Amino acid sequence: MSEPVSRREFMNLLGATFGTGALIRLGSALSLMPAAAAVSAPVFAAPAPGKGRVAILGAGISGLTVAWELTKAGYECTVLEASNRAGGRILTVRSGDTVDEIGNRQVCEWDNEPHMYFNAGAARIPSTHRNLLHYCKELGVELEVFINESKTAYVQDDAILGGKPIRNGDLSTNVRGFLAELFAKSFTQAQLNEPFSEAESEIIMRLIRTFGDLDEDRLYKGSSRAGYASGGFLDHGVLKEMIAFKDVMKTRYLGTMLTANEGETGPLLMQPVGGMDMIIKGFTRALGDKVIYQAQVAGMQIKDDGVDVAFDHNSKRETLSVDYCFNCIPAHLMTGIPHNFPTDYLHAMKYIRRGEAYKAAFQAKERFWEKDEIYGGISWVNAPIGQIWYPSHGIHKAKGVILAAYNFGGGMHFTKMQQAERVEALLAQGEKLHPDYRQLVEKPITIAWHRINHMLGCSARWQRSPGGWTHEEEALFDTLQQPVNGRHYFIGDQVSYHGAWQESAILSAHWALNDLNQRLRAESGA
Amino acid sequence: MSKCIFRIAVALLICLPLQARAQLEGEAYYNDLYCQTCHGADGVGNEGVQAPRLAGMEPWYLKRQLEIFRDGIRGTHPADFQGSEMQPMATLLTDEGIAEVVAWVGSWPYVPAELTIEGDAAAGAALYRSCATCHGNSAEGSEALGAPALAGQNDWYLVTQLTNFKAGYRGAHAQDSQGSQMMAFARMLADEKAITDVVSYINTLAR
Repeated sequence: MSEPVSRREFMNLLGATFGTGALIRLGSALSLMPAAAAVSAPVFAAPAPGKGRVAILGAGISGLTVAWELTKAGYECTVLEASNRAGGRILTVRSGDTVDEIGNRQVCEWDNEPHMYFNAGAARIPSTHRNLLHYCKELGVELEVFINESKTAYVQDDAILGGKPIRNGDLSTNVRGFLAELFAKSFTQAQLNEPFSEAESEIIMRLIRTFGDLDEDRLYKGSSRAGYASGGFLDHGVLKEMIAFKDVMKTRYLGTMLTANEGETGPLLMQPVGGMDMIIKGFTRALGDKVIYQAQVAGMQIKDDGVDVAFDHNSKRETLSVDYCFNCIPAHLMTGIPHNFPTDYLHAMKYIRRGEAYKAAFQAKERFWEKDEIYGGISWVNAPIGQIWYPSHGIHKAKGVILAAYNFGGGMHFTKMQQAERVEALLAQGEKLHPDYRQLVEKPITIAWHRINHMLGCSARWQRSPGGWTHEEEALFDTLQQPVNGRHYFIGDQVSYHGAWQESAILSAHWALNDLNQRLRAESGA
Repeated sequence: MSKCIFRIAVALLICLPLQARAQLEGEAYYNDLYCQTCHGADGVGNEGVQAPRLAGMEPWYLKRQLEIFRDGIRGTHPADFQGSEMQPMATLLTDEGIAEVVAWVGSWPYVPAELTIEGDAAAGAALYRSCATCHGNSAEGSEALGAPALAGQNDWYLVTQLTNFKAGYRGAHAQDSQGSQMMAFARMLADEKAITDVVSYINTLAR
């Protein structure tokens, strides 16, 4: 007989399954969910006379945050943006937009309607990202609910059930049932080892049965949670045939179905009405002509009393001399701009690698997913496309924009392909879920962040080992977070432990603003 | 310079499908300063994206490389990662567009690249003797021999290219005659250390 499970071990087992934290650590591709931070922008005093000139390099959301906060405080801000739009990786694609991929420029030809858009970068706002939500409120950005999970969406994996797509609800219900049976059996042994009181035992067993929908014999024999095969309203529902755990255990999505909608991507998620760039438009509306577009930084010299920035604009090289500089240019592009950064600073910049995330979208000629009982949410495909997202918005309209791929880890598979090859791959992999996909979608847009002009990468990749941040990496991070001469600050999600989120970029801006504010207060003796 | 950029923009537009062009024409000026996005301000090179220094590059060499990138002779080997990033860009260029790029790049001042590699330069000097046949004793290059200057180029780029030549990731295309010669020479470098050493020696050569 095997060693009985101790009470503590059993509780750990429960925790590992019922609790979210441990599973997020193990399972989520989005890394740890950080604690929610309070709104953290400092309150600045008005600048000293002649000391209020600020250059912000890059109109990403961190740069816009700095520009907005300092403008409110009375500073004279200039935002230099290399491209012809603000927002960086907050990019919404709509009819007529140009996707400025180097070597593969695309023009979006979707129907020109408010719901026909695709958030090609940031796409979800968790309710815990309170700084971002604070700016949405302050800037009048209307929000709506984003549907991250639909139990009727699919999981498809060639490794199980002969590649037949299975509903999310079928998979998760059966996985829970199987686990609950295991718990029920383990619990009996745990009781022997270190008895619970009778009342405790009842509570725990009730919880286990509820978790997996076990019958009175503590066995899982299918559940109406997976939906009925037929009936259920005017006649008795007929349960679907139970899927045997051993038939699905080979898919890597078992854990995903339990964790993908927990933590940072758990309810409630939101999105701005009309596209994520409504947030950026909120900032640029507030900042007016302080943002200069097609202004590419060509050099930067940090001095004791300020920073000189050279930039190309309207085919002329111009210079901007400022007291402070906040820089959200991606580190891998900044290394190609003449500068006088200290050696250790440059070393840290060079350590960061370029993110490879890839997304794509089609215009759907009809909202075929709705006919299949899917409204919003994500289907998971064990193929390079990774995910298909059904839009949360425009329900029951004639058409919609369907996200055809989201590969946040190894998007180079698609990036290296030519456009026609990418589209064929998207179609071939999408057909695994929706047999008529090829006939139902049109007008592809692909977003290879590694090749988007003025970005050349998705979120910064600091970690080189799967075990998390090393002490050396933390030291490099600390170096890059600190200002140079108290005059130059690096900002953006690249200066956070949690890349790819707008909240991280905003918090990095707030960190820099707080640091400057403290220095200014110390200087003025306040 | 603005005229040149305009012409590149025009050249790019010509390459786009007709339907796409019709939509683009109505749009505001679109930024076509692609070279500097990767290759750095004024083409100084950018280690962050492994794009080499263009400022000071010989016009004949730049022209040839843009042509062979465009024609799929360079940058199409699946293992040539950096080359595969350049190649799609070059496919958009017409002959006229290439001439404009070469003229534009020629307007950038030469600045020798930052030194980042430290190897055994003395050992590298001995290895360099065979390189000197084509690239010159001072690594100044020779148009007649189709060999570019090496002095002043980013050392990490030289390492990557020598590694790629040696492995056949660059130069193996049937139409890449200069590249195939270079492959043969690169294979005389025994290992990674030899490559580092010879590049360290090139770093000592003034231009």
